[in-house]
Amino acid sequence: MTTGLHMKPAVVKAAETLLVDMRAATSSLSYAALLTDDGFDVARFPAKTDGARFAGMASSMQALGDAVTHELSIGASEYLIIASGKGHVVQLRVPGQELVLSALFDNDATVGHALAITRTFAQKMAGLLA
Amino acid sequence: MTIDVDQDARKPAPEPGAYPVTVGWTEAAVAVKSILSLKTPVHLKMNVEMHGPLLVDFGHHAFSWSTPLELFPVDAVHTGLETIPTTVDAPPYFELPGQNLDGLLWEMGVNSFGGAAAFWLSADERYHLTRWPNLTHHKHNLSQVRMIAALGNGYASATELAAFAGVDISEAQRLVNALSLMGILSRSASAPAPVAVAPTVAAQRRSLFSRLRKRLGR
Amino acid sequence: MAEHVILFTGPMGAGKTTAIQSLSEIEVVRTEANNSERHIVDKATTTVALDYGEILIGADEKVRLYGIPGQQRFNFMWAILKKRAEGMVLLVNSDAPDPIAEMLFFLDEFRELYDRGGVVVGVTRADVKAGPGIADFYDALERTNPDLVIPVFTVDPRDRDQMENVLLALVANIEMRAAFGMASVAGAL
Repeated sequence: MTTGLHMKPAVVKAAETLLVDMRAATSSLSYAALLTDDGFDVARFPAKTDGARFAGMASSMQALGDAVTHELSIGASEYLIIASGKGHVVQLRVPGQELVLSALFDNDATVGHALAITRTFAQKMAGLLA
Repeated sequence: MTIDVDQDARKPAPEPGAYPVTVGWTEAAVAVKSILSLKTPVHLKMNVEMHGPLLVDFGHHAFSWSTPLELFPVDAVHTGLETIPTTVDAPPYFELPGQNLDGLLWEMGVNSFGGAAAFWLSADERYHLTRWPNLTHHKHNLSQVRMIAALGNGYASATELAAFAGVDISEAQRLVNALSLMGILSRSASAPAPVAVAPTVAAQRRSLFSRLRKRLGR
Repeated sequence: MAEHVILFTGPMGAGKTTAIQSLSEIEVVRTEANNSERHIVDKATTTVALDYGEILIGADEKVRLYGIPGQQRFNFMWAILKKRAEGMVLLVNSDAPDPIAEMLFFLDEFRELYDRGGVVVGVTRADVKAGPGIADFYDALERTNPDLVIPVFTVDPRDRDQMENVLLALVANIEMRAAFGMASVAGAL
């Protein structure tokens, strides 16, 4: 039986710490969240925001991204980017886990840099849970 | 105790030949309607020739019969109708759950009175549906669906219903009889003519309903 | 291309995804994720964005079937999907703790469709366990909106025939409501 990662205190703690480290690694990070595939908020930065709604939306986005790549027969979705005037959201799966890392960067960061940071920390999270 | 149907009918029995009457289910329907109207606790046992006895427990809204409703014998002959007095707290007439009584009322209502109005209904009245029958569990056709939908959204007489659905008045009447027997029809002598105009056959063919039913092969 | 959008709503586990699969002529687009809360609803997966299926009526006409994710944390999807819908099939499962409350909740969330009569309620798993009877659902509907008559059927969402009956009843009800000049769902069918 799958008990949600969002309900395991050790996982939540590790996730919170990871996001703090991520912010330390790049000042252009405005918001970041780790969420379960089915839309539960595990941890977020800043910690005191209500991440529930964003977690639901991010999981919907992730699933729709998968549906698009499946429809077009182009393999698995690797990352999603939503670009706007004030920043971009980069989102991808934590390898080997039913977890998604979704992060908002302001426009001081290039998309490439944002993607690299997000990939790195998703990998770190995978390592923590392995 | 057997019911004397003539005594219990609200109106005098029709002259032979004045109504086309289906022998058997018509009398049974009148008996059932009386029981439902009077609300005295009784069970009903119908002895149906060439079929096992049909038992009805009104209190539990159930019936028991060895003949499945999918094979409902529309021309069945009843050799007897017996009411068995009971009380509110008495044990069930047969082992529950039995089958939902609505299924039987539907078949009985559709297959009695030979396409004419049930004896307890009047001419010049309009009808309105209070609840839909559970159509996934009643054998029905799509004209009936349209008529039921019309009745759910307005008042109509059997004649007006038949015009909407593009069917014979007798088809509309059979449906009205069944819905009335099931207790899901309200009646009004004073409701005005429906605002809707009966759609032309061409207009009906253009409706999504007809296109969809055709596509689904019905 | 003429399009008609029918929404499938109701709580998690009622059978929305299954119902769309029974009706759809295309392979249903699904957005399932593993369910983190199996102790609450014993389902392996849950819909997190939407389900999508189609019935092609002719070269120029189709019915689009959209299933909402049933859990409330996805209610932003409900807002997106309800905008396009002409009618809805509201599925509740009979063996849930309070299926009538669930029905009333979703009727309220999709009030515009309900007020226009564009709803059929399907009670699933009614054979599995004796939950409230259909009469109880109708009692609740009459208390909520005494002037409106919408169908309540027991259904097996795996049964294509039954689901087609549900869809036809929905369309008939929408058309008849429009014919009688009452407030109807947007657009002429």
